[in-house]
Amino acid sequence: MANTRSLSNATALRDENVLRRVRHLGSARDGLQEWRLQRRTALALIPLGLYFVASMLRLATSDQATAAEWLASPVPALLTILFVLALLAHAVVGMRSVLVDYVHTRARLVAAELLVRGAAILLACASVLAVLKLFLGR
Amino acid sequence: MERPLSPFMFPTWYRFQITSVLSILHRLTGIALVVGSILLAWWLIAVAAGGEVFEATHAFIASPIGVVLLFGWSLAFFYHLCSGIRHLVWDAGYGFEIRDAYRSGYAVLAATVVLTVLAWLYVLLA
Repeated sequence: MANTRSLSNATALRDENVLRRVRHLGSARDGLQEWRLQRRTALALIPLGLYFVASMLRLATSDQATAAEWLASPVPALLTILFVLALLAHAVVGMRSVLVDYVHTRARLVAAELLVRGAAILLACASVLAVLKLFLGR
Repeated sequence: MERPLSPFMFPTWYRFQITSVLSILHRLTGIALVVGSILLAWWLIAVAAGGEVFEATHAFIASPIGVVLLFGWSLAFFYHLCSGIRHLVWDAGYGFEIRDAYRSGYAVLAATVVLTVLAWLYVLLA
């Protein structure tokens, strides 16, 4: 991969430079993809998280009708789904980096990661279904 | 002097620095927020289900334990948000001088307190 378009290697955000730098030293697996996913979801979660938490400040103690009406409107429904998906993708990578540090047996690590991934998929699908039900059923 | 081993180092021999404490806090708040995402999914499902499920969820959220959890999660959210932005700035290649790292660390703590206080003032006054 001779990608020489970039002249600057001043920042680690330039993927081609990271690849070039780690070619002989770094991970031979999927570390860079995870690193990217973690940063991209982090960026997405800044506005999405602020929007959702600000909405929750109003809704956390509201009655069911108010909350259902909010989740059934297009923009809140869309942004809530995006927030949940970005949050859980970010959570899976974050939990993985914690597990890799503290679980030292290969079998246990695989089991713990499967558990985290399975739980994240379950929560994501359940949340999306709940929002879709309100959105489509209004 | 007898040399102590790892866990006993902490209160007496090892001096914490704000940089390492904030790094540990970033992880801990991240894990707390993962746990919080379970309640988030539960709340979404409860709103969609309505009826008794929502009543039970609502009662839990409004209970003292629920309010303490919400407060803790709001604190964890604002900390992880501010600290995460600090990490993104580092990823972009800025702020590595020790002086800058300390300044941004204190800025993160201040912003966390301000945002959490503002959020709960809004909840209590609205």
